[in-house]
Amino acid sequence: MQKQVRTILQRVAWHFACICMAVFTLVPFLWAASSSFKPLSRVFADLVPFSFKTFIPMPPTLEAYVALFTETGYPRGLLNTAYVAVTVVVFGVLLNSMAGFAFAKLDFPGKRLLFTLTIVSFMIPFEAISIPLYSIINRFGWLNSFKAVIVPGIANGLTIFLFRQFFAGIPTELIEAATIDGASKLRIYSTIFLPLSKPAIVSASLLLFVGQWEAFLWPLLVANAPETRLIQVALSYINTQYATYWNQIFAGAVIAGIIPLIIILPLQRYYVKGISSTGIKG
Amino acid sequence: MPAKVLSPQSGGWLSSRHRRGFTNTVAAYAFLLPALIGVFVFRLYPIALSLVKSLFQTSFVRGTTFVGLENYRVLLEDPVFWQSLKVTLLLNLAINPIQIVISLAVALLVNRQGHIVRIYRTIIMLPMGVSLAIACTLWRIMLDPNNGLVNSILNAIGMASQPFLTSPSQALWSIILIASWKGIAYWMMFFLSGLQEIPDELYEASTIDGATHAQQIWYVTLPLLRRVALFVTVAVTSANFLMFVPMFMLTLGGPNMSTNTLMYEAYVSGFVYFDEARGMAITSVILLILLIVVLFEFRLLKED
Repeated sequence: MQKQVRTILQRVAWHFACICMAVFTLVPFLWAASSSFKPLSRVFADLVPFSFKTFIPMPPTLEAYVALFTETGYPRGLLNTAYVAVTVVVFGVLLNSMAGFAFAKLDFPGKRLLFTLTIVSFMIPFEAISIPLYSIINRFGWLNSFKAVIVPGIANGLTIFLFRQFFAGIPTELIEAATIDGASKLRIYSTIFLPLSKPAIVSASLLLFVGQWEAFLWPLLVANAPETRLIQVALSYINTQYATYWNQIFAGAVIAGIIPLIIILPLQRYYVKGISSTGIKG
Repeated sequence: MPAKVLSPQSGGWLSSRHRRGFTNTVAAYAFLLPALIGVFVFRLYPIALSLVKSLFQTSFVRGTTFVGLENYRVLLEDPVFWQSLKVTLLLNLAINPIQIVISLAVALLVNRQGHIVRIYRTIIMLPMGVSLAIACTLWRIMLDPNNGLVNSILNAIGMASQPFLTSPSQALWSIILIASWKGIAYWMMFFLSGLQEIPDELYEASTIDGATHAQQIWYVTLPLLRRVALFVTVAVTSANFLMFVPMFMLTLGGPNMSTNTLMYEAYVSGFVYFDEARGMAITSVILLILLIVVLFEFRLLKED
């Protein structure tokens, strides 16, 4: 009996914690989403006093979305960013996981130094290297091409570190056994380590994808032609026309925010095995 | 396959071992090279170029001259630098534990299966893909002292309006709130993926041994989460030490320098006052502090 009461209390506490967190994340999003279905004149008018109208557009209109997709550079920015982000994820997962594998499971001279430099590489404020990096890209003749945003984004110290941390958890005995069986390092990496690291691959993809998805300063500097403009830069241009179309900004923000989520949701099975599947009740 | 096993080893034991050492090294560098070239060319080389500038002074009269550590000496006598250092340390002492602990706690909360938890998880993940710039735009309107949503809600439940970003005592905390809104959702994902690496058998074994849920988290989950926790800790610390967008978009370091972090001060020096040497000197101070903190974190969460 006492045990049952405790289980119920635990359940209530769990729901309470989840709901608190969910409210915190949802309210700004809900408000932005509802504002994107309002005409510009209602966006701020509905804020004070607080009422159901703050969160529910009365009546809803698609005006902002229509304008966003027909009158601005947003759809182009969306497609450009999708192309850039997917390319960076594909090459980034491959190259960084290889480096992570070497740092986690191979011995070679200079390992400590190279690993330290890899760690240092993601502690560098981007603003501090933007000017020298710009001249490098300029020398390569890559300005206003997708190469300027894609190539510097592929190798990523943080992603190497992420893979290194996951690979380090896979028993070294697997390598020894496979080596005795005559498998090469490349084979061990591709047929043992990669298949065992799906959660790490999903995380690394998230890191690289979101990194490109939210990049602003760098694409603004090197790819600001209308044909190569990326999503965050395109969004900022809505701001600098004759007025600030807040409802369009919200519409753009909601779409930009939801797309990474739509991609990650089907991958949840790699993310949540769930303790309850082992028969433990929370 | 059998032929390979039976084929005689050429050379003695020692030389074959040496040769294997050499092939292993070649293999390791082959794995590393593609990514490390990118890291060196696009990150380390540009920062090295920049840091060198902090040792030079440019003036119209004498041109560019080598001044050694002079720029750093000037920095140490500058009260603005010390104020920025204070703000940076305060911000990071608060925001890093907040983001790490809450994102871990939330990951533990939603790491189970079921329909309701799926809904919670999806909602909690919402801010994950929202860029910090967009988050700042949203929260600026929500935290507006006069017509903001948050004050509107506070008034509706009978509480007084708050100044938030316009007050020296609340601005830094408002930035922590905004950055954590996105940060917690984002870093939670990495903890969640780390939780998948823990074998079910360990939970089963400890259940048979009569461990409670809390005991399992403390004795099974957390020790095995160490590697991923180190990753998240280091990544969160770096991201927050280098945080720039909220100061740039919302507070401009104010009010009363209460949000003037070193990162923002470096930007102001380099890009607003065109004192590149000072900007780079501050940047190298940030890099140095960050390195020390991360080194400490590596020690703290060292793998057995």
